[in-house]
Amino acid sequence: MAMSGGVDSSVAAALLVEKGYEVVGATMKTFCYEETPENPRTCCGLDGILDARRVADRLGVPHYVFDVEEDFTRDVIDDFVEEYALGRTPNPCVNCNGTTKFAGLLERGEALGCDTIASGHYVRIVHEGGRSRLLRGLDPAKDQSYYMWGVPAELLPRLLFPVGELTKAEVRERARALGLATAEKPESQDICFVPAGSYRDLLARRLPARHPALQPGPVVTRNGDLVGRHDGYSGFTVGQRRGLGGGMNERMFVLEIRPETREVVVGARDELYAKGVEINSLNWLGPEADAGERLRLQIRYRGAITSGTVVGRDSTGSVSFEFDEPVRAVSPGQSAVFLTAADEVRGGGRIERAQRLMPDALANSSIAESSSSDRSFGMVTLTST
Amino acid sequence: MPSVYLDNAATTPVREEVREAMLPYLYGTFGNPSSPHRWGRAAAKALWEARERVAGAIGCLPVEVYFTSGGTEADNLAVVGGCRQLHESEGTPPTVATTVVEHHAVLDAVRRTAGEGDAAAPALELGVTADGELEMDRLTEALEGGPCMASIMWVNNETGMMLPLAEIAGRFAEREGCMLHTDAVQAIGKTDLSLRNLAVDMVSITGHKIYGPKGTGALVVRRGTKVAPLLVGGGQERGLRPGTEDVAGAVGFSFAVDLAEAEREERCATVTALRDRLEREIVRRYPGVTVNAVAAARVGSVTSLHFPDVNTQSIVFGLDMEGIACSGGSACSSGSSGSHVIDALYPGRGGASVRFSLGRDTTDDDISLTLEAVERVMARRS
Repeated sequence: MAMSGGVDSSVAAALLVEKGYEVVGATMKTFCYEETPENPRTCCGLDGILDARRVADRLGVPHYVFDVEEDFTRDVIDDFVEEYALGRTPNPCVNCNGTTKFAGLLERGEALGCDTIASGHYVRIVHEGGRSRLLRGLDPAKDQSYYMWGVPAELLPRLLFPVGELTKAEVRERARALGLATAEKPESQDICFVPAGSYRDLLARRLPARHPALQPGPVVTRNGDLVGRHDGYSGFTVGQRRGLGGGMNERMFVLEIRPETREVVVGARDELYAKGVEINSLNWLGPEADAGERLRLQIRYRGAITSGTVVGRDSTGSVSFEFDEPVRAVSPGQSAVFLTAADEVRGGGRIERAQRLMPDALANSSIAESSSSDRSFGMVTLTST
Repeated sequence: MPSVYLDNAATTPVREEVREAMLPYLYGTFGNPSSPHRWGRAAAKALWEARERVAGAIGCLPVEVYFTSGGTEADNLAVVGGCRQLHESEGTPPTVATTVVEHHAVLDAVRRTAGEGDAAAPALELGVTADGELEMDRLTEALEGGPCMASIMWVNNETGMMLPLAEIAGRFAEREGCMLHTDAVQAIGKTDLSLRNLAVDMVSITGHKIYGPKGTGALVVRRGTKVAPLLVGGGQERGLRPGTEDVAGAVGFSFAVDLAEAEREERCATVTALRDRLEREIVRRYPGVTVNAVAAARVGSVTSLHFPDVNTQSIVFGLDMEGIACSGGSACSSGSSGSHVIDALYPGRGGASVRFSLGRDTTDDDISLTLEAVERVMARRS
């Protein structure tokens, strides 16, 4: 049972104990806490380890802290830094779930005689007819299936998600009823290895000195007009609106990041709309999608899900997907997750690039205010699972 | 499920004689040793007798025994207090020397202290080979270069390796402005301390590794050696360690030291035979498994075994699930083995190192049960 010390995994552990499973609690120690003692976190940190241990003691199950620092640094942090260096906005939690957390912990658990791994994610898994299907969590406000597409398909039969059928409110209620120390813990919002908002400090520590991603550069329009300066393209995410300083128009949005010239390309909101998206680094949890297949696609955590058609796959396995309606803010590096009408997670990949609608084309198409504009676009919030 | 505790180098239970000796000082004779009335005098008498008992067991004078809260405090007091004193008396910050296999209580104190000096020279961290050889030339060089504070452990906690302390002490003899401290936490009860014949200036010992209470220990400071206190207050322990004395703790500690020394030779013979059986059997059964620091002089209670292609935590946690307590490296270091000691002795080598440390309660059956549990854990690997 992967226990972060948060309320979700605490309740998940309790539910498994109730059902009669022989539970062993496991918390990952992902990096050396001594190096960042000032960093208070609600999960995955030293306090999380202590909370997880208190819950395990309360449930009467053994609890172990696995030092996964080496794996985590290689598979998650290095990739995170590399993606930002390329001007993209990564989802490190996807990587962690795809490597360290499930495959890594399961392998370590095997040495203790464990054959299944459970976590407190809000997703469901159905094992029937010799096939295991991963489904979205029932609580739409908490569904975390967006972060799960990278899990190796062969592991699915060995996964359990005890809170996937519950809402967050129900989970908290269960935690209170069980008297768990973590019942009132706040949600974790940060990336576990990055204190609130300071990922640029991490980049500065881990990238070579004077790396272009951290150097000032020009802000330009699509026509190439210089409209401002920025202090490092790694601070930007495609789709983000921001006052770029120097009297810049507040209605400008980041359209593109060009690491080779350090340019951040901005434009009007309408210029953000994309008719399709190219997706690479794919992983399939169900049957691979064929060209022409109708699927739903989620391109941001908690973002709206859009319908469309798989239009093609190239030899490298990358996939093009065409939206039924143009979609705003398709951010390279973020995950694109394929869902069926029945809420099954078929697979996912990383957004390589948006296929933009040209402004001319846009003028004639009647675009309703995109359904994905459910929240104002500040910095893309990378929410830790 | 069996219940076999083979982590005695981490800590031990309080033995019955120790507990019995402590009890009167928890309620009846509870006075403050500094008080002039009879309650206080009775406590002061017990404290002095405890000091005498410790001194008698390890071959020093009672006035040389300063009770502390344990090994970490004693190590800090020796390194930090010794350096400050040398700095003041010699007018220049001393070179601070230690070894790469030291416990963090010493290593971190040394690093911090070295950074505090005016010159802010880095600490001299002497290399140690897996055969137990210390970089003696660098130490001699440092001693010739002016004031020096060296802290060199007697017995390494992770491997049981013994460092050549008598030889090292010889280099310090008659050298003005140089001080030698040794962390003897893992040595007491395992090897003959005989401080009477050894030219060390300070020695750290603790109670909880020898069936005494946790939170007890002492720094032995040779008469004539001056150390600056880290705490200020009521002047207890001749001003070196102020604070109302833990009389019950000191009494328990003194009995633990006395018994450890009295039983040492007999205990060592028994424990070494059991350790050798465990070590021999594991090495025989699992090709590739080797004994860390096998060519060095080692105490008989510890074996540190290297398993190639395995994760340390898999073995330690797996054995815990089987009811066997053992130990891996410390949990917060990024080296391949998770232990700065093993990494220093075997640089660049992967795999797992697991320590089994035996004690007075270990039986031959325990060894058999452990071997069976290791068999089950190793079988799960494939």
